[in-house]
Amino acid sequence: MAMHIYDLGWMLAQVLLLLCSAPLVAGIIKKVKALLQNRIGSSIFQEYFDLYKWWQKPTILTPYTSLVFIIAPLVYFASVVVAAAMLPNFFGTQFSFGDVFVFIGVLTLGRFFMTLSSLDTATAFGGMGGSREIYISVLAEPVILLAVLVNALRSGSTTLAGMALDFQAVYLSVASVLTCIAFFCLLLAENGRIPVDNPDTHLELTMIHECMLLEYSGRLLAVIHWASMLKTLVFLVLFSLLYLPLSLPLAVKVLLAATAVSVMETLKNKMRLFKVRVYLAAAGILLLLAIVAQ
Amino acid sequence: MKVKPEGLRGAANICSRGGRHPLTAMFGADETSFGGGYAVYCLFENKEKHDIDILKAEFDAGSDLHYPALTPVLPAAAWYERELHDMFGFIPDDHPDLRPLVLHETYPEDFHPLRKCVDIDADVRGERKYEMAVSHGDGLFEVPVGPIHAGIIEPGHFRFSQAGEAILQLDAKLFFTHRGIEKAVEGKTPEEALLIVERICGACSVANTLSYCQALEKLSGQNVPRRAWLIRTIAAELERLYNHIGDTGNMCAGVGFAPVISMGSRLKEILLRCNEAIAGNRFLRGLIVPGGVKYDLTESLCTELTVALTKVENEYNDIVQIIAEQDGFLNRAKTTGIISKNVALDLALVGVGARASGVDCDCRRDLPYGLYAELPFNVITKTDGDVYARLQVRMGEVAESITLIRKALKLLQQDDSQLHCGELAYKTLTGSWGISESARGSNLHWLMLDADGCIERLFIRSASYPNWPALTIAVQGDIIPDFPLINKSFELCYACLDR
Repeated sequence: MAMHIYDLGWMLAQVLLLLCSAPLVAGIIKKVKALLQNRIGSSIFQEYFDLYKWWQKPTILTPYTSLVFIIAPLVYFASVVVAAAMLPNFFGTQFSFGDVFVFIGVLTLGRFFMTLSSLDTATAFGGMGGSREIYISVLAEPVILLAVLVNALRSGSTTLAGMALDFQAVYLSVASVLTCIAFFCLLLAENGRIPVDNPDTHLELTMIHECMLLEYSGRLLAVIHWASMLKTLVFLVLFSLLYLPLSLPLAVKVLLAATAVSVMETLKNKMRLFKVRVYLAAAGILLLLAIVAQ
Repeated sequence: MKVKPEGLRGAANICSRGGRHPLTAMFGADETSFGGGYAVYCLFENKEKHDIDILKAEFDAGSDLHYPALTPVLPAAAWYERELHDMFGFIPDDHPDLRPLVLHETYPEDFHPLRKCVDIDADVRGERKYEMAVSHGDGLFEVPVGPIHAGIIEPGHFRFSQAGEAILQLDAKLFFTHRGIEKAVEGKTPEEALLIVERICGACSVANTLSYCQALEKLSGQNVPRRAWLIRTIAAELERLYNHIGDTGNMCAGVGFAPVISMGSRLKEILLRCNEAIAGNRFLRGLIVPGGVKYDLTESLCTELTVALTKVENEYNDIVQIIAEQDGFLNRAKTTGIISKNVALDLALVGVGARASGVDCDCRRDLPYGLYAELPFNVITKTDGDVYARLQVRMGEVAESITLIRKALKLLQQDDSQLHCGELAYKTLTGSWGISESARGSNLHWLMLDADGCIERLFIRSASYPNWPALTIAVQGDIIPDFPLINKSFELCYACLDR
């Protein structure tokens, strides 16, 4: 399919929309969580204020860091933006580029650079965070590929657009429900959510994703946080498009998935670090069952 | 019992009766100002006589302050002896680890602040070696944490020796904000010192004051009226209650279990407001004074307290229920941070830390004071010694404390004795101790007044002091992400050390 200038325009519009709404979705997750936990919580726009605040602050670099430290957040941000562009276009154009393997590869590139930057400062926390991040991603990746396989088998395509569910139909089959649960578990693990990681904690020793960011400040920190929020939104959209078998408008599905994240973060506590493999293995087994059921 | 310095180890060994009588405290005193020399006191809790045996080693003023260390036979003495070395310059021979404890690298080598000849206002600067205990080896690395932490807590530096995620060794550098309270109160009148003692630590304010006041009351020989003791008991149990309930929430913060964190803080807030209604401040300061209490619990306050207690009890039962049903939490808490009974006995642990490891001790029962002998309660013990056992002990004690407060409130209505026994006259140059069970364990004060009736020496051993070294043992074999949870399960206080 040839690429039109209009397609490019719609793609840009989609990326911009996701970029602008990512802090809002993150704010909504926090707000719902606060309400569920008997707290009033901060405004749903708080994430925008935080980004603005960090943007105003100077970036402090230790003399021990190299160029990697500055490049990594940018690569991370760019990788998530590219991933956002690769999502099936929700303005209705048929064009999309790259298949799901490229999608996963791009996201992994960003993660790889963040891990490099965590080692770059040579602090104990950075190294710990980097090692835990890799430990989880190594286990999560094969499971993600399995999730992709389930959809690829059904739709006979490995492009994200080809794999998307039909909005109008309801897919309440055993396979689709199992895949839905399994991908939701993956979504939590990939985005550093409870029960795998705790995004709200101040306890450095228990952190995974946040542990790698401890040396960042100012604009670089803003870039990383924005990228992380965008990544969460990209996963929520992907979950809604590909795996949530309900015939509802996309925005409603995304909000539903975001609420489900808040509920999970209230119901569950963080698991032992070495139990994460059991958790991810469980997601993998659900997916295998889904393939069999399909 | 008085002994010569070289006989201290032998005598201490006898006093401890093979470990059955734990070393409650060990401290030094500079008695040169009234004709003596230096002294080392060892206090053992006599479990049979329900009393404290005091062993005193006297050193001549001009002697070199050497004595055979107790640590090789009584591991519980390790920190006390390091502190004696820092603060007085005693040299316990054969001490396995005589690194500085209280005085960090910014102090000169030969500086011993608790000697009377050291001026409290002296500007002291210098340098000494302060090394952390670490493991070396292929693939091992160190993780330094603190002294400034991400949360709003007190300063402490932890050095982990790691093999991957597994903790091989932990060394804690504490005493960053040592205030020299023991030195600062010297020469103050008991009433002036009371204000300082109340502020040693926020969370053990009542326990510290209660121990201090009991020590003074023993010196005066006068009895505190019954009504005052009832109110003191209520205050002490309220303090235990708000600590235990807050800590239950904090332990859930260690694993990111958010609903219980908020529930715990909310219940703690209710109790802190009760405290404010009783004493005018949230930590019950100014309520307990030598000889009695300052404020009465009026009829309306009692009703208010009863209502609040019912609310707290119901909601706390919800918390207990939620935790019991939360598999994820139980999985984190069980088998994590184990302290065996042997370790607990060797280190003479106190309070929740000891009771969760199967050591049946509670100074409210073992060294009865006030009205605890006639207000029966159960001492909660568990045997697993892990994080969950410590949580269960706290949960059990919350229920016991609520029952105790209810009984005391009932007795209070039938009682019309005085709040205060009147003017106290104190014996001078006589040692005296007072003990009370804080939320963290037994809290001991030892004091002596000089010829003018001012403080000659006040030694404060709060519950956190013997329990801190246990933390470094509990984490061995666990992984570093579990440290915050283990740490919170002990809920040790930095300010209690920085006295």
